[in-house]
Parts: sequence; structure tokens; C-alpha cells
Amino acid sequence: MFHVSFRYIFGIPPLILVLLPVASSDCDIEGKDGREYQHILMISINYLDTMIKNRTNCPNNEPNVFKKHACDDNKEAVFLYRAAHKLKHFVKVNNSEEFNLHLSRVSQGMLQLLNCTPKEDSKSLKEQRKQKSLCFLGILLQKIKTCWNKILRGSKEH
Amino acid sequence: MMILGTAFGMVFYLLQVVSGESGYAQNGDFDDAELDDYPFSCYSQLEVDGSQHLLTCTFDDTDVNSTNLEFEICGALLDVKCLTFNKMQEMYFIRTKKFLLIGDSEICVKLKGKKITCRKMNVVKIVKPEAPFDIRVIYREGANDFLVTFNTSHLQKKYVKELLHEVAYRQEKHENDWMHVNLSSTKLALLQRKLQPDAMYEIKVRSIPNHDYFEGFWSEWSPSFHFRTPEITGRMDPILLTISILSFFSVSLMVILACALWKKRIKPIVWPSLPDHKKTLEQLCKKPKKNLNVSFNPESFLDCQIHKVDGIQARDEAEGFLQDTSLPQPEESEKQRLVGGVQSPTWPSEHAVITPKTFRGDSPLGCLAGNVSMCEALVLPSSRPPDFRDGGKNGPHVYQGLLLVPGTTNGPGPTPFPFQSGILTLNPAAQGQPILTSLGSSQEEAYVTMSSFYQNQ
Repeated sequence: MFHVSFRYIFGIPPLILVLLPVASSDCDIEGKDGREYQHILMISINYLDTMIKNRTNCPNNEPNVFKKHACDDNKEAVFLYRAAHKLKHFVKVNNSEEFNLHLSRVSQGMLQLLNCTPKEDSKSLKEQRKQKSLCFLGILLQKIKTCWNKILRGSKEH
Repeated sequence: MMILGTAFGMVFYLLQVVSGESGYAQNGDFDDAELDDYPFSCYSQLEVDGSQHLLTCTFDDTDVNSTNLEFEICGALLDVKCLTFNKMQEMYFIRTKKFLLIGDSEICVKLKGKKITCRKMNVVKIVKPEAPFDIRVIYREGANDFLVTFNTSHLQKKYVKELLHEVAYRQEKHENDWMHVNLSSTKLALLQRKLQPDAMYEIKVRSIPNHDYFEGFWSEWSPSFHFRTPEITGRMDPILLTISILSFFSVSLMVILACALWKKRIKPIVWPSLPDHKKTLEQLCKKPKKNLNVSFNPESFLDCQIHKVDGIQARDEAEGFLQDTSLPQPEESEKQRLVGGVQSPTWPSEHAVITPKTFRGDSPLGCLAGNVSMCEALVLPSSRPPDFRDGGKNGPHVYQGLLLVPGTTNGPGPTPFPFQSGILTLNPAAQGQPILTSLGSSQEEAYVTMSSFYQNQ
């Protein structure tokens, strides 16, 4: 009896404190009304998407990283934050200036709208550095679009 | 010592006051004083050259000595922190693709590398569209209006696509009397009736962002277009003119016919009058001659001609003849017998009913000439009009014992009035004279004449 109460008193609250950062969102989204996304970001995303589809022939399989980091409920901002950082890695000299500019606009634009505390673990960074193909970029852009649509749908319902 | 200390204190105090007024202030004070001396304003033009944007800033005070002044923009830029403006005469501009278009930027005026004044601006909120161009006006005769069309480069742009356009037009001789029309499309129809005919007009257009995200200022006016409105010829459409004339004449004709035929034709149908039997009877009795006086007034028969007779038979023979014979036809009898020719107010039991089926002569009713059959007298065999008994001088004329011989009559014929007793027969075939035939010998037969009928009225 004493062991049980000891467990409940001294075990559970620390557990809650540890799990609380995981459950809560570290980011705030400023552009929830969708104006910045619809008038600026979406134009750049569509341009990049068109350029990627014209240049590559990508398979339909989805990389595993998206299973780990998905646009889950209450984690949309975190996902977009990570996606915005990932887009930076795709800015290369080989690309055209126009391509790089649109990439930068999507990445920096999202970071401008998201007020997040930087939290990157070394493992995810290593995974991100591996994926630099245009097909991955295409999938990433699609995921970004889907996540933004989810955010805007949620804000309209409220 | 005290005096010396006080003196030094006053000197330092005065030095501080004087130095404050002379302008040797701190940097912060210097910035506050200079901030108002270099007011400036900026506007942006997105995708002005392909995907390049243009940001232009100028000092509001044109007298500012901008020799060592520079402009710099920091924040909301792609891959760079700040960008420096280029200078062209009194205008500072920057042409770049590196505007993020999200968030605020800071634009500062720098003097020798030092920031003098700064203002926070959002590039998407100070957009000045490019001026419209290629404005044209086409007159549409069928629609009686002027179609105004113009073009704008923003139709092909990605960001600032939705604009609000303002069309301004005026009559050239009326300066500063501009009419304004706002529209979101690039076509406008001006109604001809709203413009003066045969006048010269000037028209121009400008634009402003009409967007929930992009905002800014009016663009410059487009180059003006001049056009002349057509004259009003006053010539109507010939088909319309013909139709209007025909309808006018037909309406006039209908009105005239209605007025002319109102009494005779239209009113009797619309508002038929109740028949008057007296008038109806008069209408039925046609007047063969103008001088005929058709009337049921017995006094009108006073001037009826008396036919000459040969003799007067006895009354008894006449009565016996009446009892034995039936009503003979007028053409059968050649006997003309009259019993009693004297007027008598009394009405005998036996009456000779006269059916003036055929009458000729000039006398009224009974003295009618011609072979025309006249109105038939009412025959009431059983009735005995009491008026006849009481009829005095105005009563029916009774002829007793008068005998009319064909050929001997001078006048048109005898009177049609009934007899008190006896028979008066005439031969219509011989001389065309009217014949009074004897009727049924029943004593109870009524004896009605037209005059008694009139009297009963």
C-alpha cells in the first residue's frame, strides 16, 4: 500500500512533466487566416512542383521519414517548421536562380510565419541530409500543401 | 571661498545652458532633431520586369540636399539581410527579385553610413500598379452606346492580379468636369443618351490594387483617348414610322365610325330600348305616299271621301243575309249592299265584322290605295267593345244601307269603320277599290276596329 502511493506521488507527476513538452506544440502559426500562404507561398510551391514534375519521373513510394514526421493533429506547426528547414538544404548552385528563389521564399516565408523554438535532434538532421533528391522535394512540397490546407480548414471551422 | 565657489558654479551652469542651445547634443537628441527633416515616401511595383520587383523612395521635401544621403532596406529579404538603394537624380530605387513579400521591412536614410531616419514598411502594402494602356472607344449603333476597352499588364502577373480601375471622361470644352466610373473588368459601356451629341470627348483610366493582401496607391493615368459622339439625325426607323402612321389613321377611323354609327347601330345593340307598341304598329303600316296620314285617330277620317251608292236596301234583308251566309271572300261578292248609312252610336247585337284585309285609297287606314295588304284589324268575335256603344261623334262611322257599286265609286273607297248593322261589301277586283266583306254572323262576335283599339289605349 505504501509502495503504491509512493509510486503515484513521486512517479506520475515527473512523468507528466517529461511528456508535457512532447504533447504540446512549440510553435505558433501567425498566418492562420491563410492570406500569406494563398497569395505568396502557394505560388512558389506550385512553381517548384511544376518544375520538378517536368524534370523528373518519380516513383509513388513514400519515404519513411514522413511516417515519423507527419502533419498530425496539434503538430502541424512542428511539421511545417521541420519542412521549412529541410527546404533550405535543397537550395543549390546547380538550380536556376528562379528555382532557388522560390525555394527560399517557401522556406523563409514559413519560418517567418511560424514562431517556433528550435528543436532539432541529431538523428533527424542526419536523415534530412540524406534526402536531397528532387523526388523527395516534390513529396515534401505536397506534404506542406496538405498540412497548410489542414490548418486553414481547422481555422475556418473555428 | 564661498564667493569663488558660487562664481564657478554659475559659470558652469551658464556653460551648460549655452552649450545645450548651441546644438552640441547627444546622438539621440541629434536623431530626434533630424528625423523630421528627411521625411520620405516609398512605393513598390511587383514583377515590373519579368520576376524583378522595383522599390522607389523619394524625399517629400524636394529642397533636401541629398548629396550624401543613402537609402537602405533591411528585413523580409531572401538570402540577404539588407539591400542598398540606387540613386537617380532625386529618386532612390532598388530593382531586385529578393523581396520575401511576407512581413515588414525597415527602410532607413543613412548619412555617411549612419542611420538618420527609419520607417517600417511592408512591401506588399505600398504597391503602385503599372498604368493601363491601349484605351479605345468604339461606337455601337445597334446598342446606342460606346464600348470602352483598355489593357493592363497585371493580367499576366502572378501576385498583383486583381485591380480596381477608374475610368474618367469629360467633354473637351468643359475642363475639370470629369465623370468617373469604377470597374473591376477591362470593358465599359457608356450609354449614348448620357453623352452630348456631336461633341468631342476625352477619356483615360488608372488602377489601384483591389486585394485583401496587396494594398497601395493609384497608378499613373493612361494616355488619353479622344472620340466624337455622332449627331442625332432625327430620322426615325422607316418601319416604325409606317406602323405609327397606320395605327394613327386606323384609330381615327374607328373613332369617326363610332361617333357616326352610335345612335343608329351601336346604341340599340348596347342599350336596346323597350319596344313601343304604338310606334311599332305605325312602323308596320307603311306609308305608300307622303301625304298619307296614317293614324288611328278617328278624327283623321273625317275627310275620307264618300262613295256614291245606287240605293239603300232594307235593314231586314241585310240581317237575314248576315245570318245565312258565312264570311264571304271579298273577291267573290259582287253585291254591294249597305244597310243603314247613318252614323249611330249604338252597337247592335249583330255586328258585321269587317276585315280590312285589302284597302286602297287615300283615306287613313281604311282609305288606302294600292294592292298592298294593310295591317290586319283585330278580330274579336266575342267581344263587344263598350266604347263603341258610347262612342258619339268620335265613335266609328256606321254606314247603313250604303251600297257601293263597282265603277260608280268616285273616291278611293269607303271608310273602314264598322257598321252598326248591315253589310258593306266591295269588289276589289273591279275598280281596285277596297272591299269590306261580311264576317261571321254570330251575334256575339266581337267587332273591333283600329280606332276602337286606339280608344282602348
